Amino acid sequence: MMRTETPLARFWSEFRESRVAVAALIVVVVMISLALLAPLIAPQNPYDLANLVLSDARRPPGYVGSNGYTHWLGTDAQGRDLLSAILYGLRISLQMGLVAGAVAFTIGVTLGISAAYLGGRREAFIMRVIDLQLAFPAILLALVISALLGQGKAQLITALVAAQYAYFARTAHGAASAERGKDYVEAALSTPLPARQVIWRHILPNCLPPLIVVATVQVASAIALEATLSFLGVGLPVTEPSLGSLIANGFQYMLSGRYWISIYPGLALILLIVAINLVGDQIRDQVNPRLKR
Amino acid sequence: MTDAPLLEITDLTTQFFTRAGVVKAVDGVSFSLRRGEVMGLVGESGSGKSVTGFSIIGLIDPPGRVASGSVKLDGRELVGLPPDELRTLRGRIVSMVFQDPLMTLNPVLTIGEQIRLALEAHEKVSGAQARQRAIAGLAQVRIPRPEATVDYYPHQLSGGMRQRVAIAIALLHHPKLIICDEPTTALDVSIQAEILVEMKELVAELGTALIWISHDLATVASIAQHVAVMRLGKIVEAGPTLDVLTRPQHAYTRALLDSLPSRAKPGEFLLRGGGVPDAVPPARKPASAAAAPVPGAPYFIADRVSKRFESRPSALRALGQRFGLLQPPPVVMAVDEVSLTVPRGEALGLVGESGSGKSTLGRMAAGIYAPSSGTVRFEGWPVMSEGQGSKKLTTRIQTIFQDPFASLDPRMRIGDGIAEGPLAHGLIGKAGARGYVRDWLAAVGLDPAFADRYPHQFSGGQRQRVAIARALAMQPDLVVCDEPVASLDVSIQAQIINLLMRLRAELGLTLIFISHDLSVVRHLCDRVAVMYRGRIVEEGPAGEVYDNPQHDYTKRLLAAVPVLPEAAA
Repeated sequence: MMRTETPLARFWSEFRESRVAVAALIVVVVMISLALLAPLIAPQNPYDLANLVLSDARRPPGYVGSNGYTHWLGTDAQGRDLLSAILYGLRISLQMGLVAGAVAFTIGVTLGISAAYLGGRREAFIMRVIDLQLAFPAILLALVISALLGQGKAQLITALVAAQYAYFARTAHGAASAERGKDYVEAALSTPLPARQVIWRHILPNCLPPLIVVATVQVASAIALEATLSFLGVGLPVTEPSLGSLIANGFQYMLSGRYWISIYPGLALILLIVAINLVGDQIRDQVNPRLKR
Repeated sequence: MTDAPLLEITDLTTQFFTRAGVVKAVDGVSFSLRRGEVMGLVGESGSGKSVTGFSIIGLIDPPGRVASGSVKLDGRELVGLPPDELRTLRGRIVSMVFQDPLMTLNPVLTIGEQIRLALEAHEKVSGAQARQRAIAGLAQVRIPRPEATVDYYPHQLSGGMRQRVAIAIALLHHPKLIICDEPTTALDVSIQAEILVEMKELVAELGTALIWISHDLATVASIAQHVAVMRLGKIVEAGPTLDVLTRPQHAYTRALLDSLPSRAKPGEFLLRGGGVPDAVPPARKPASAAAAPVPGAPYFIADRVSKRFESRPSALRALGQRFGLLQPPPVVMAVDEVSLTVPRGEALGLVGESGSGKSTLGRMAAGIYAPSSGTVRFEGWPVMSEGQGSKKLTTRIQTIFQDPFASLDPRMRIGDGIAEGPLAHGLIGKAGARGYVRDWLAAVGLDPAFADRYPHQFSGGQRQRVAIARALAMQPDLVVCDEPVASLDVSIQAQIINLLMRLRAELGLTLIFISHDLSVVRHLCDRVAVMYRGRIVEEGPAGEVYDNPQHDYTKRLLAAVPVLPEAAA
């Protein structure tokens, strides 16, 4: 009965059992570090137009540029070093994904838990609006909002949040409805504690495990969605290229044999999304008691 | 030949391999059983009584295994038999009945289909034959109208009927041995009494041997000729039931018997005062003048309160009802126009079987449910606000819940859980919170250093102490206890009863004590109200109601309680 290890330590020791998940976690951590350190480690600042030499444009991987260093992943149409562009693009993609995920988490969870706590007509209203929204594909919704608001980081985040908060709201509502009926919530209500305290200090912490799973998966899908929008030209402006814009930039050269301009940013994107999803899968398996051995 | 024991267990040891090391769940158990005999296996949770039962029929799953010893059934060694052979024995030679028939019956098959599957496991039968056998089997366990019941699904039957079906399935192949694991624990006392009588008759009729595993000495006493008391995987005492219960030799058996409220005088500390802390609870904050009682009002009154539970119809259903196409769903009156007053300082017991409405009434008294009609008042003031989304208005009524595993927030340190209510209502300041929590933990008999632990780090009894501290730290005058000892082992139950009696005296508390256990209520309460189908059918001083019940239902209820043989003087 007495267990001395903390819940977190137990979680980690279970997490470690899956080699794939640990590898994926390492990939995610490495990619986040690369993105954070991009200005320090990138050979070139891809935004500084003074650095770009047009004669170096569209050179294959391994090309030694006119200013002396080797472009390991080649250069794009503006003569930009692709490795540097990818590191900076990773930075923007991750930033978009994490910020959009955090905002969607906050809005969605607040709505979902409030609905579950309030019950009755207000719950029905909130949840039906969310159901209605979930009936539209996320990409369609994001596309329409981006098209209406125009380009820019804030606009893009708005579009991503609008497409994603509903998933958080659904999950939070489901978890909170289950917690709402439990004895410890009744005990808190019969003390009586103020509603705010019951929601934030009792219901929310107990709803977190499934929400963390949804959050990891949704960050990955926000990154993918952002890349899609940027690829379609409604995301970020060309001056702030994310991985999606980089892929779009190289797309026209694909058939002329200059594969590297699109492929390498694409590989980086795939690696990031797959790694985040693998970590998310492992967490999901761990918090789902039905899968417990 | 008939003298040879049917079942002979020698030195049975079952081990579980866990992260913490090897646990000997059963540790060198030996006993034997003849045909037609009933053997009671008694012990608290974790004593190894169920694992003993599982070990006999080879139902130990990894990481556990039967490590050594022998189980001889009818001269045949069962330990070490390959799984396939064991499977041919299970159900045919040995069968098992579990505590919760809802778990063992398949919810998507009718009773008849389940019985047919059980039959086909060991013999070839046609559909018509299977049906005949099913009906005969159900009739044998006294199920009324077996021809109809055979086509029911498990959810259409009551708990007692489901358990009878499980017993009927266990009896299908006329096994030589039946193992019943807490078969009546989940049932109401009157259903339990019926099943006990029926089981006894069936065993005598069929000459089957029976192992009856239970935590409850009284039910074992009423069915078993032999009893073995288990503790920590070992049998500490065994012998004829009457001898063991009236002249217990082992200290543990005596402690178990001393834990029973039915064997002590009402109000006496059980177990010679075990589990009662010396520490005194912290002082109360003086009451504010704003909450002065309304002159002339009763201390606590539930005035003609009712609680209806209706399922709210879906839009489509509501439309159907509007046009008279659909019948409105039946309204369940959980509590029906009940009035109840409790004077200051009294302990009122609320007894009844499941579904009698006692918990619902308790929840209305505690300000958790708003009554559908009627009011609950404390010192003349309403306990809950009126109208939609009504809230509890007073902190002077607190609740202790049945299940301490559910009533504590699993993600909050217990110290924070105890302090949050008093902090929210200004009973203590932030600076004094830690000391206040420590004082309360000491007052309920826990180490004050436990304040930083999470609920999962405690045992059931310790958790219930935390729950008591949590409720009493709100400095209530009236405490509603909803089955506070029902999920605890008897020795722990005795300690919690002692603790409640002591704190009640110390703090001058008024209690509303809800329980299905009549002996606990008699021990703790001055007055008792008997609930049946949402109404109070009898109410009076505890001694009078118990010794001279007036209402038929009370008489039936009291008669159904199994009694222990008196201790030899």
